[in-house]
Amino acid sequence: MPCEMQQEAVWKHRYCKMWKSVVAAIAFLAVSGSAFAASAVNKDAETRTLIVTEGGGKTELALAAGETVEFCPNGCFVTLPNGDLEALTGSETVEISGGVGRIK
Amino acid sequence: MLFRLLRLILVFMLVVSAQPSFDAMAQAIGQGSAQLIADQQKVVQDLTAKTDGLEKKVTDDAEDDAALVDIRLQLEDMSRAALNSALAFRSRLTDINNRIEVLGPPPAQGQPPEPAIVTNERSALAAEKAEINAVIAGAQNLSIRINGLIDKIGIMRSELFRNVLTKRYELTDALSPQAFSDAHDQFTGLYKAVVSWLSFAFKFKLQAVLAAALMALGLAAVLLVGGRRLFGRIFEPDPSIEEPSYLSRLSVAFWSTLLPSAALTVFLASTVFFFNYYNVLRGDIGVFLNALLAVIAVVFCVNRLTNAALEPRLPNWRLIPVATGPARWLVRLTTAMAVVIGFNNFLAVVNDKMGSPLSLTIARSFVATIIVGVILILMALLKPFRARDGTWRPWPAWLRVTAVALGLFTIAAALLGYIGLALFVSLQVVVTGTVLVTAYIGFLSARAIGEEGGFADTSIGRWLTTNSSYDETALDQLGLVVSIAINLMIVLVFLPLILLMWGFQPGDIQAWAYKLATGVTIGSVTISFTGILSGIVVFVIGYFLTRWFQGWLDGSVMARGRVDPGVRNSIRLAVGYAGVAIAGLVGVSAAGIDLSNLALVAGALSLGIGFGLQNVVSNFVSGLILLAERPFKVGDWIVAGDTTGTVRKISVRATEIETFQRQSVILPNSNLINNAVGNWTHRNKLGRVDIKVGVAYGSDVKRVHALLLDIARSHPLVLKNPEPFVLFANFGAAALEFEIRVFLADILNGNIVQNDIRFAIFDEFNSEHIEIPSTPRAVVETKKPEAWPLDDDKMEADFADKEQAEAEAAVEKARLAKSRRKGSKPDPD
Repeated sequence: MPCEMQQEAVWKHRYCKMWKSVVAAIAFLAVSGSAFAASAVNKDAETRTLIVTEGGGKTELALAAGETVEFCPNGCFVTLPNGDLEALTGSETVEISGGVGRIK
Repeated sequence: MLFRLLRLILVFMLVVSAQPSFDAMAQAIGQGSAQLIADQQKVVQDLTAKTDGLEKKVTDDAEDDAALVDIRLQLEDMSRAALNSALAFRSRLTDINNRIEVLGPPPAQGQPPEPAIVTNERSALAAEKAEINAVIAGAQNLSIRINGLIDKIGIMRSELFRNVLTKRYELTDALSPQAFSDAHDQFTGLYKAVVSWLSFAFKFKLQAVLAAALMALGLAAVLLVGGRRLFGRIFEPDPSIEEPSYLSRLSVAFWSTLLPSAALTVFLASTVFFFNYYNVLRGDIGVFLNALLAVIAVVFCVNRLTNAALEPRLPNWRLIPVATGPARWLVRLTTAMAVVIGFNNFLAVVNDKMGSPLSLTIARSFVATIIVGVILILMALLKPFRARDGTWRPWPAWLRVTAVALGLFTIAAALLGYIGLALFVSLQVVVTGTVLVTAYIGFLSARAIGEEGGFADTSIGRWLTTNSSYDETALDQLGLVVSIAINLMIVLVFLPLILLMWGFQPGDIQAWAYKLATGVTIGSVTISFTGILSGIVVFVIGYFLTRWFQGWLDGSVMARGRVDPGVRNSIRLAVGYAGVAIAGLVGVSAAGIDLSNLALVAGALSLGIGFGLQNVVSNFVSGLILLAERPFKVGDWIVAGDTTGTVRKISVRATEIETFQRQSVILPNSNLINNAVGNWTHRNKLGRVDIKVGVAYGSDVKRVHALLLDIARSHPLVLKNPEPFVLFANFGAAALEFEIRVFLADILNGNIVQNDIRFAIFDEFNSEHIEIPSTPRAVVETKKPEAWPLDDDKMEADFADKEQAEAEAAVEKARLAKSRRKGSKPDPD
């Protein structure tokens, strides 16, 4: 382990140990605090629009070519570019190619 | 994914092999989903009917906050149910879409027509999809409607809250004699209810009551005695300790609040539980008892907290440094306030259950708020601190003014008839005040831990000192981290708590937290804290992986493989830089920063960077060349321009050289690449030392030559091959000049050898009577002015200084002699 390697300099050794604890704490925080949402990927060369019904209103979500967007954290209805209506729980990936949306 | 692919292949094979059975298959599929569609249609219809009912209820219960909250919860459930009914079509829709894709688009005009069976199936699938879409659209509309209702309830509730605060009651009604008689009736009713219940309990359920009370008491006793046995050491302040540390005072305060409160809560809860279990409670008595016990628990907890913080009996253990008398008063006033608020809440429950007139409610709240206001003002006017000269000093001005203002506001609001507002303010003063005080004590403890040596004093710190290799400084830094973490935790716990107290909804707080975590959009830039945090984490992990790999490669692989130290150093450095660069790149992309944007900026700035960072870049590239070419390694004795010394560290921008005077010289790498660098110890440490000596004209030069050669040969450190050589260098102006040239295996021994040989030459020439001439210099006589008269004091002072300097020099010499290791040799230059 690098900490043992750095015995030659006492302060380095100490800092290394310090860092270990800090890193463990940060990693824990990051893992426990991460949140998930549905994401949409537009693989077409032109802008595609999704209509997202979330809460009490509808919003249009325009995706530029190649863009990936996170949306709908708590479940929503979405109208795909080909007119299909689907419900999402908030963990899916919507992939748009050739004007057709697929849910994965 | 794989499964879906398999299914696709299967369907395709079916299409190819079983052309004629298309129609039948499509029908079978259609029938299967017809059932599903009908089911979900029913679900959506049911939900719609339920929504209608709830919508009506919302308008009916517009005045009842609790009912509205309940409806809101139901609506949220229904919204999820609507989404779930739409989700039920997911797999069917996927199937249909796959099927349509397999069938391909309908033939364009001019192309040969496809078989009728394909056209039929396509239209059947399209029809089914349209049906499903219709159901989902129904669910969607329902969801929009439900969410609209939820929003409406939110607006209604905030309006209700505003109404409570702004509604003005007629005090003349409430404070008329009629109110007193109402109150009298009410108490009679309560008294009767309690008495009838008591007589019932004694007559029919005496055993059960006794058993329940006994059990609850037993449980509480076990908890209290056990807690004292286990934790008595930490929650009983020890009066014999003169000056307990802040941290121990804090922990005593914390535990002496928590444990007794917990014990009491368990006792009360188990009482209610056992009474319920034995069916002792009857009618409204259960509700009254619950309310009463809650009041008792709260009052006890507040009393314990203030007692623990102020410790009227043990001044040493006081958290807030107020004097003893005021501390006693503060405890009394706080408890009184808690009693008033709690009793008011209890009466509210009683009033509610017994259906008492509004005037009584107003009168009760009026009295309670006035008392709370008066107590607040009294507390503010208290002079709690005692100065050194014995005068009493008041609270800090801001605290005093705030408390008086709040008290006056409450009283004024109550007197003007805004009872709701007054009640709200007094309740908030108590509850928010308690939360704030607790948070403040938490902050104080974080500060105490963060102080120098504070963490080492805690039990965790002591445990770490004995069980790990952390030393004092590491513990100190750990303490700092812990104190920051505690501060953060306090903010994370108490901020939402206070927000909740002030009427915000948990959903709002959750939504804010989510927004903060996923990204705050400013213009077109989105700052995401989780993104940045994960980027940092990824970088740190990458960094430590690199360090670990570097260490492993260096320590295990290369050390065992007997790799040359220079190569080892180069490889280690190269691996380190590559690893950190990769970790940085991965971290940046994990943070969600688009590298292509960065490339754009870099392209635009490259000219400027080219000029501005010319030196840095050239040094960097030179550093890479140094690592690859390795003209010198760490520990080499090099001469670069005016600098001579040992190489200490080669890094990517500069190389650190330590001169023999122990001065560190940081030399930019480009200097070492562009200019000549001498390296005394490049391939080996072999080197030549030249020693010049002159003899007087008239000496026997042959004899001198032989003597010098002899001296050179006889030195043990001088190499036999290449042989020592004595050069008859010059017929000089004053002497015949000789030069001894000897090769040494280790040039670092040069000074020792030179010294030895010079001493030997001197001795040898003395005994052989060979003269080493020195050029006579002209002697110039200078007339020194005589120092007169002398200042005796000054002379004495000078003498003392001299003595002291000598003593110090002696000490230094002794120290040096002690510290010098055996076998160390003098620097070569």
